[in-house]
Amino acid sequence: MRLSCGSLCRILLILVLIGGMAACQKKPASSGGAMGGEGAAMGGGFGSGDMGGLNQAKYRELGLNTPEEIREFENRRAAFENQDIYYDYDSYVLTEPAKRILDEKISFLKRYARVRVTVEGHCDERGTTEYNLALGERRANSALQYIRNSGLSIQNLTSVSYGKERPAAMGHDEASWAKNRRAHFVLNF
Amino acid sequence: MFCWRHCRPWLRLLLILPFLAVGMSRLAHAQAQRFELDLTNPNFQRIAIAIPDFKRQSSEQTQLAREMGETLAGDLDFSGIFRPLDPKGFLEDPQTMGLNAPEIKFPDWRRLGADYMVRGNYLVQGGTVKIEARLFDVAAGRPVIAKSYEGDVRGWRAMIHRFADEILYALTGERGVFDTKIAYVQSMGKNKEIFISDFDGSNPVQASRDNSLCLSPAWNPQMSQIAYVSYRDGNAKIYLLNLQDGSSRMLCGYPGMNISPAWRPGRPELAVTLTRDGNPDIFLVSASSGQILQKLVQGRSINVSPDWSPDGRSLAFVSDESGNPQVYAIDVGSGQKRRLTFSGTYNTSPSWSPKGDLIAYSGTVGGRHHIFIMKTDGSGNRQLTDGDGDDVSPTWSPDGRMIAFSSTRQGGSAIWVSSVNGIGVRRLTRQGGGQELPDWSPRMSGR
Repeated sequence: MRLSCGSLCRILLILVLIGGMAACQKKPASSGGAMGGEGAAMGGGFGSGDMGGLNQAKYRELGLNTPEEIREFENRRAAFENQDIYYDYDSYVLTEPAKRILDEKISFLKRYARVRVTVEGHCDERGTTEYNLALGERRANSALQYIRNSGLSIQNLTSVSYGKERPAAMGHDEASWAKNRRAHFVLNF
Repeated sequence: MFCWRHCRPWLRLLLILPFLAVGMSRLAHAQAQRFELDLTNPNFQRIAIAIPDFKRQSSEQTQLAREMGETLAGDLDFSGIFRPLDPKGFLEDPQTMGLNAPEIKFPDWRRLGADYMVRGNYLVQGGTVKIEARLFDVAAGRPVIAKSYEGDVRGWRAMIHRFADEILYALTGERGVFDTKIAYVQSMGKNKEIFISDFDGSNPVQASRDNSLCLSPAWNPQMSQIAYVSYRDGNAKIYLLNLQDGSSRMLCGYPGMNISPAWRPGRPELAVTLTRDGNPDIFLVSASSGQILQKLVQGRSINVSPDWSPDGRSLAFVSDESGNPQVYAIDVGSGQKRRLTFSGTYNTSPSWSPKGDLIAYSGTVGGRHHIFIMKTDGSGNRQLTDGDGDDVSPTWSPDGRMIAFSSTRQGGSAIWVSSVNGIGVRRLTRQGGGQELPDWSPRMSGR
């Protein structure tokens, strides 16, 4: 089988990229507690941050065929997963900054309509477990509803509440609490 | 049918009742019928009781001589009714002194200030233990009760708890809580699991092994199952932990969240919060199938943390329909709902007292969560705990004399207990990682 120079280069580039990602692979950003500095770690670029590389079959499933498409996806994926939206105390009302971030997420979802998304709702440590579980679900659902209201028809959009059980910041002050009253977005593959 | 051989070792210990309580003889039972202590007397003084080491009758497990005495003293001290005397002041060697009334030098014990005195002995043989213990009235120089227990030696602590219970009953006419347990949530790294300890926080045993986030343990009235919430299948669902074989199975796995299990007294049903209809509503479900029987509380608000009145007719719960979380009660038959808390903007986790007359809950004052107690119509509200840290999740002892809760007053979350009059606050759990969401069991013996 003969390969053109262009396609060979393309395959090599993909292999190098995948290898590079594997080398610095950590667990994908998920419901884990170690999400310190969220929002700060945005747009770290390809192969940086908490990204696990996907295999080519997965990229193809998502409709990504060229290295350029994959690179762009991975860049935007980092922002999508690392940037949380924040809420006021005992509230699930979307603030204006939260809506702006959600607009970016909608733009991502419009571009990559085949991804599966879980929206996690979280609360700060104050108050009781069960009320916070319900409040966390309301937060996740408020974000979910905003995305749905954009007219986006995403099949694979689900929510889960962790209440106050999975804090992002471990402190016991308003600065930490503000970081913990959040909705967090996870892509599932 | 439950098979002992297939039972996990930790469960065998937990289940116990591996002993037979044999009333040796109900000595002086006529006197025991009139109870000797009046706990309602405002000038009540703690009763001084002397508990020397138990006497060994074999050379096995010699350390139990001291441990049995200390465990009994700890129980009686915990009750708030007794003041165990320091054994250092005792005159006789407990391994040589006699066991029966004629051999006991009551004037010596009287001089030490003892009102009552316990003399016990034990025999360990091939994995079983036989314990005999008597309570003596020191001033009268006569026995009040005498009991013996026999069973697996690993269950000795439960036998001592049972004897402490008998002492309390003989002198006050009220059962103690020494054979009860407390289920709670233990943090283990990122995970949380359900643990069970004795009433005083000792003997912690891991009950759930989901390697996940487990929350909200709730004992069934028979003390044979614990309902709890687990994320082991992804989202929050309600499971039943069978304490006889250690197995657990899903009870409620409806779409959305399945949280806040609360067993209904007298009927095989639970109140739970489900978000299957888009809103956190409270449902009545079957304890065997998880099938929905009735929607109890609905609306556009958050409705969580149901807790039944002891007669199973009313439900206390938390709703934010006023704009922030407050405690409400609903008569399940008529559907009539009333708001109980009006002070403060964060009142949660109601817990109905075993006698049905009071509701404990967690409210805020000065930015801190503390435990409050009110009558079931919301009147007579009073603050039970104060100080640094947050106190949440109150649960009543089955005799209604104490309230356990979780508190951060010493840093990490731990289980604490207070008497209902607010004195005798003490810490029950001291393991690392943090403990929360306590649920006090009913009495094992169902009395």
